Amino acid sequence: MTEADPQLDTETAGREQTVAVAPPPPAHARAIRRRTRLARGPLTIGEPAAAVDARLAAAEPYRPDTVADGGDAFGLTVRAASVRGLYKRHLGGPRQDDLCLRPHPPTRSLIAAVADGVSAATRSDLAAALAVRHAAASVDRQLERGAVEVDWPEVFHHAAWALVEEQRRSDGDAHAGVAETAASLATTLTVAVISPADESGSEAQDEAGEASRSDPARFRVQVAAVGDSPAYVLVEGRFKSVLEDAPSVDGLIGGGTRALPRHASAVDHATCTLEAGGTFLICSDGLALPLADGTGDVGHTLTRELANPPDIVDFARLLDFSRATYDDDRTLIAVWPGQRR
Amino acid sequence: MSTPVQERSIPAPVAAPTYAPEDAGAHPTGQVIGQVLPIYFVGDESHSMRGDPVAAVNHGLVELRDEVAKHPLIGKKVRFGIITFADTAETRLELSELSENLVLPTLSTRGRGTSYSSAFEALRHAIPADIALLKVSGFQVHRPVVFFLSDGQPTERESKWQERLSELKDPAFKERPNILAFGVGDADPKVIQQLASSNMHAFMMREGVSTAGAIAEFAASMLNSMVSSAERLDRGEQTLEFEKPEGFVQLDAPLV
Repeated sequence: MTEADPQLDTETAGREQTVAVAPPPPAHARAIRRRTRLARGPLTIGEPAAAVDARLAAAEPYRPDTVADGGDAFGLTVRAASVRGLYKRHLGGPRQDDLCLRPHPPTRSLIAAVADGVSAATRSDLAAALAVRHAAASVDRQLERGAVEVDWPEVFHHAAWALVEEQRRSDGDAHAGVAETAASLATTLTVAVISPADESGSEAQDEAGEASRSDPARFRVQVAAVGDSPAYVLVEGRFKSVLEDAPSVDGLIGGGTRALPRHASAVDHATCTLEAGGTFLICSDGLALPLADGTGDVGHTLTRELANPPDIVDFARLLDFSRATYDDDRTLIAVWPGQRR
Repeated sequence: MSTPVQERSIPAPVAAPTYAPEDAGAHPTGQVIGQVLPIYFVGDESHSMRGDPVAAVNHGLVELRDEVAKHPLIGKKVRFGIITFADTAETRLELSELSENLVLPTLSTRGRGTSYSSAFEALRHAIPADIALLKVSGFQVHRPVVFFLSDGQPTERESKWQERLSELKDPAFKERPNILAFGVGDADPKVIQQLASSNMHAFMMREGVSTAGAIAEFAASMLNSMVSSAERLDRGEQTLEFEKPEGFVQLDAPLV
């Protein structure tokens, strides 16, 4: 059978015609039957990477190949995905990126975190998982106690401490320190909290002015990072770095990165405003590297596909694009202001 | 309204949807098409390599090409070049993708001299030009790696090769490579140690091992290193992946 129209399962349509004596199925049943054929294989951008058979990862605790999440909260729409890179699929290694989303209803704030485990450390998959969760919980506690400006050093020290504690627990060494921990649990970490502009600090109110205080589509973003997982605001096809760009050493790539727990004090932080027409992004370098300055094919594709929030699973599929030589884990959180459809 | 991704494809719905770049060919500023790791093998073709040793090098290079070419992910990420030296240095293979049908040069011994300085000079010229070409083609480039193999001692003034070596390792030379140095046969461990970028990356053939046997082990380690280093490229870690080959000792302790 040929599939000329992906929107219509022609075989099903034909069968319906042959059972004319039966009452017509209710509208919702017809909708279910008219399902689209699954498109197989990855999306490709430019030259595709080789197809590899993914081996199931053996990891403790369990690490799924792909995480997809998303939803609406406080006038924001968020999509988030973390996908295992081709190389780890090929070898059967666990995904070493992770993400965390955490709404804080009392302040109508969204907390988002991305971590990229350092592969030289033996359990960096767990490090990434711990770092995002503990960092989000730490921000949540600050918001609970009424903080408007996030105390970032505290957040990153809590996340780093979670790694040290895990090292002590798993190693049975109550005195394990940063050096012992860094050998097995090391990760970058980027955390953001997105809050209504009218409920944020005086600085933002000054910027916003009286008129926009009531604007439900204006948000203040506080973001901080240790390491090379960047944050951007995507406006009209331009990816504007919110944090300081990782320096390119001698014009070459791959110069190493800062990571927790060792560099817990080397926090780079910034604030920005998110309003209609803008999309706030945090990603791991598995995406940042092929994205580069955003003016190439990857940037164009993301700009086009993120013009509006895709469905949650489509978002993960987009992130899992195939492009030759880019086979690292990828993680992306995208946040749109305002009610979307 | 969001556009479901699958709807923008494609006559045959089971085929993978392809995003055609909207301005293909224009190559806008910042367009990157891939990331690559340049790797250079710098090998000794002096007279003393004659017979089994040079045959072992040739065999090892063919194996390396075949293994890398059939690997699903490494082949595209590595660019491999061959420079040899005896009295003079020669580029025997321009930096190339290791595909099955790549024609490799057959190394053979020539001349009596062993000029390290000519090899370093050749690298110093080739590397910036190669990297510039890769960048112009749209590649993001990792710091290059040099595998240096010699079975003898330099037959030239020490100050001459030392000077060329320091130009190659000069921190002001942006594209300076990470150098792994391997001594077999009559190579001088003290010299080999000076060549490597780090003490961890200098290796000398163990006593009692045949030169050809050690070269075979070296070639296998070069392949393993290529695979595991290329695996970690994305993560941006500085450490070059390399395990000591069988039949070698690591020269990371001070030599007396």
